[in-house]
Amino acid sequence: MAFRHETLEKNVILLLVLSLLVVTIGGMVEIIPQFFVENTIEHVKGVRPYSPLELAGRNIYIREGCYLCHSQQIRALRDEIERYGHYSLAAESMYDHPFQWGSKRIGPDLARVGGKYSNDWHYAHLRNPQSMVPESLMPRYAFLDETPLSYDRIADDLRTNIAVGVPYTKDDIANAIADVESEANPDADHAALLKRYPKAVVVSKTGPYISEMDALVAYLQMLGTLVDFADTSEEKLDR
Amino acid sequence: MAESAGYVAASAIRYNDDVVKKFVIATMFWGIVGMAVGVFIAAELAWPSLNFWPPYLNFGRIRPVHTSAVIFAFGGSALLGTSFHVVQRTCRARLFGGTALANFIFWGYQFFIVMAALSYVLGFSKSREYAEPEWHLDVWLVIVWVAYLIAFTGTVLRRTEPHIYVANWFYLSFIITIAMLVIVNNLAIPVSIYAAKSYSVFSGAQDALVQWWYGHNAVGFFLTVPFLGMMYYFIPKAANRPIYSYRLSIVHFWSLIFIYIWAGPHHLHWTALPDWTQTVGEAFSVMLWMPSWGGMINGLMTLSGAWDKLRTDPGLRFSVTSVGFYGMATFEGPVMSVRTVNALSHYTDWGIGHVHSGSLGWVAMISFGAIYYLVPNLWGRSGLYSHRLAAWHYWISTLGIVLYISAMWVAGIMEGLMWRAYDTQGFLQYSFIESINAVHPLFIIRWLGGVFFLAGILIMAYNLIMTVRSPRTAARATDISGLPLPAVGD
Amino acid sequence: MNDEEKFSALVIGALMAVFALIGLMLASHALDVEMSIFGWSLAAFALVFLFGLIRRHFDQEAAAKNEEVRRHG
Repeated sequence: MAFRHETLEKNVILLLVLSLLVVTIGGMVEIIPQFFVENTIEHVKGVRPYSPLELAGRNIYIREGCYLCHSQQIRALRDEIERYGHYSLAAESMYDHPFQWGSKRIGPDLARVGGKYSNDWHYAHLRNPQSMVPESLMPRYAFLDETPLSYDRIADDLRTNIAVGVPYTKDDIANAIADVESEANPDADHAALLKRYPKAVVVSKTGPYISEMDALVAYLQMLGTLVDFADTSEEKLDR
Repeated sequence: MAESAGYVAASAIRYNDDVVKKFVIATMFWGIVGMAVGVFIAAELAWPSLNFWPPYLNFGRIRPVHTSAVIFAFGGSALLGTSFHVVQRTCRARLFGGTALANFIFWGYQFFIVMAALSYVLGFSKSREYAEPEWHLDVWLVIVWVAYLIAFTGTVLRRTEPHIYVANWFYLSFIITIAMLVIVNNLAIPVSIYAAKSYSVFSGAQDALVQWWYGHNAVGFFLTVPFLGMMYYFIPKAANRPIYSYRLSIVHFWSLIFIYIWAGPHHLHWTALPDWTQTVGEAFSVMLWMPSWGGMINGLMTLSGAWDKLRTDPGLRFSVTSVGFYGMATFEGPVMSVRTVNALSHYTDWGIGHVHSGSLGWVAMISFGAIYYLVPNLWGRSGLYSHRLAAWHYWISTLGIVLYISAMWVAGIMEGLMWRAYDTQGFLQYSFIESINAVHPLFIIRWLGGVFFLAGILIMAYNLIMTVRSPRTAARATDISGLPLPAVGD
Repeated sequence: MNDEEKFSALVIGALMAVFALIGLMLASHALDVEMSIFGWSLAAFALVFLFGLIRRHFDQEAAAKNEEVRRHG
């Protein structure tokens, strides 16, 4: 029995089903193994879920569309490594729902911006980027400073992250609000916060309230700082 | 010949032209809005002080307004409208599902667009490029899309023609594949069903792959496949010639949809995505060149023997130029997907230029061609108000595209080279900001290119309004819209 | 009006009633400004669409009657 294309040209359901089948193949072959192949994500020490303040800052980063001008993905190319630091590992964005790798650099890559500048530099830069980098194309984000951070429901965000696979603990949820307040207050005791979220960067609340800028700076200051590269050999990363 | 009998029978069918008219108007409206926003954000990049109303007018919030408005509002309206026109004519059947369903699809889709644009400005975005709307809007879009699938497939099912015309294969593949892509890519869990914020079910590298599987196929199955459907109807119709090769259309249809879906990983070269996936994506991207050019050849060769019509038919001139740009962009794409080239081109403005040679040159131009054909037909006018204005539109928009893409080529390659330049001591030669300074004049030229293109569509809108209104075009010569498509042997 | 038109208007009309209710529900429980705007807009959209369906129904009925009168005097 010879197949004739005419059969498809006369049966719309068959045409629809077959064209759907044809387009599912490529996606399945490429996407499904990502979840099962052992070496998709490296096993490195140090990567942890975001602290509640960092998560809130990350949501502001998403809200303002920062990813449209800043990538968070250092490619394994010599000049990128020299400019921005060690190439990005898959493990470093394993708790990123969604990922923020970006696709265009109108500003520099931010994958390892954490710790490169002081908190004060970030506050000044976000308020008025041209005061720090005169030729910068970046819009001003001074309004973040004037907007109190809304964090009364931050525990719900953590719970939703658990639902999509981020390993927050009961303890993390119970202390979510306290952790926000601790990370935004330089005078507080940070032992519990740092035990839950090692390397979290405490920011300085500048106004009477915790502002959206505090959250954003906390997020920026931890980017790319979690993996201990001294403890990670090239062989371990070699995929 | 049975032809005349068929025509008589066809004229007894009352097509739903009302919904097509609405979509044509929406296409023009959103085209102007989307391109105006594009011109504005291009100006923001040239003169950053234009970010004068934070946060609402900040680049980061309105760039998605531009992309959604031109892709989904302008392109989507053009696609839904022409697909309804084409499917009714080529199936000789009235649109399935009645007026209420057609109106729901139109207004439901417009509602989605307005709500999405508003949500970006208010700061609600999933941050997935070309899939920014939050989960509740995605649910709404899927509802509208299912209605669209029902109306379109239903019309094909009750056709009075034995064969499903080739343009409809492309539209069908577009509808079903976009449904699949939108559903999978937007899988997310909302913080609460009463809150707009949601978190993607995928993370990191996997999320990146899913998003670019979607993202590249938004280009493939939204901006290419159905526009090829448009080409397969409007070029033969306007040129009054049969499709060059029916066999080629079969081969390139199946190979195009099969290969396109694999190409996504070329957006993630040299990243933390596993190497094997990058290699597969690269290989299929290069292969994609062939079916793409199959479509281009089929479109262009349909004009053999009718090239003289380019002088007399302004709509056809747009259609043919668009196929040329399609050929150019689908050659550039595979080149950029090669890892070595991508190392330079990725993250630079070369990518922006590539997208616009496809979207302005191919998507917008072929839509203009279809609309110049449709408006006199749908509104029952004798012809276009002014061929001279259409010629102005043609040349000003072509000039705009050339300015845009050449500025972005130069800017992109310059950025790529400056980022990897070393001085004699072996240190990086330029800071990042120096590369931004260097491309400033090119950003201004790009903005100017955008202004030209926007001016073109404004001229078009005036021309079309006058076509419908002016007494000059009142007399209706012949209704060619109900005539059958030219077939081999006619 | 033929059966297809009637059935279509009926199904879409019922759907719109459901959308309007969902819209009101979302708007009344909304936790953020976006959901509140979306809820109200959805309800408004569905109601306006419903009114359009109703108006269309009576317009067509009137047109059919006129046609009848014209034909049979």
